[in-house]
Amino acid sequence: MSSNRRSRLELISDILLAIQNKGGKIKPTHLMYKSNLSHKLLNSYLEELLQKELVRVEEEYVKKRKATSKTVVITEKGLNFLSEFRRMREFTDAFGL
Amino acid sequence: MFRLFNTPVWFHGWDILVEAVILLVVLLIAAYSWRIYKFNHENRFAYFSLAFIFLALGLLFEMLTSGIVYFTPVRDVAADVLRPVAGPRLVFSGLLYRGGFFLQMAPILGAWLLIFFISQKPRERLRKFYELSQIALFVYLILLISIVSNFKYFVFYLTSAVLLGLIVLNYYKNYLENNNQHTYRIMLAFLLILASNILLVFVFLVPSLYVLGEIVALAGFLLLLYTYNSITAR
Repeated sequence: MSSNRRSRLELISDILLAIQNKGGKIKPTHLMYKSNLSHKLLNSYLEELLQKELVRVEEEYVKKRKATSKTVVITEKGLNFLSEFRRMREFTDAFGL
Repeated sequence: MFRLFNTPVWFHGWDILVEAVILLVVLLIAAYSWRIYKFNHENRFAYFSLAFIFLALGLLFEMLTSGIVYFTPVRDVAADVLRPVAGPRLVFSGLLYRGGFFLQMAPILGAWLLIFFISQKPRERLRKFYELSQIALFVYLILLISIVSNFKYFVFYLTSAVLLGLIVLNYYKNYLENNNQHTYRIMLAFLLILASNILLVFVFLVPSLYVLGEIVALAGFLLLLYTYNSITAR
């Protein structure tokens, strides 16, 4: 049976891609669905991404709910990581690695 | 003076230039592959980088031996440097020439072998013992071929052509799997390098095939450079 498990870097890239596809910012719940990760796993990855400054968390006041909600925002460094990762994947595919 | 085969005199020096260009392409790919290895720590990228470093080493020795064979000043400098090991009146110079040719052939054959293994699926094959023993056998054969090629040079190009044929087959499968412009160009590039090696097998019949072989090899490596550039320059 072939394994389709994503590597650590692929997971990180999927998370960042999900944020980028949503215009650069996304709610954590949406991110969980889009990146197809469990709550626990997503939190541990988000912690790492925050540490490495690939994303930042912003708090917004939602008038409707009269409460603040968190959004995850991709940083310039995160966008650079994504394009570098894309190039590396193309190189890997091209050379059949 | 010891030579593997005769090449057209007017092309002497130009072939070193062609090899210098190929060397640059090879070093670029090795460096990028190493960069990916530092990024994700996956062994296959380190092996791929190593393969291209082997190619670079082979090319360096090829340029060095060609320079010594073609140009008297270079030969004089080499003779002065190697005099302590070449013996009185350079009696062992033939042995040193053969050593030089061995050092240009063995890394190149090793590189093709490594690229063949890496381009082959399934993954993680290098960790399995029985495949490591296969690699050991291949390494032994490559060393043997590199020695034999000193006496019959075309054995080197023939072995290169066989390994490149297998690599092209792997890249053809890769092209069928991924079906995009990059995989097509990589397959085509290795096909050109294969064609150049086939041409070089027959230099003993028609010496001018050496020129054609070098130009076709250059075209193959320039196509690799073009593909590398179209991937990384975005």
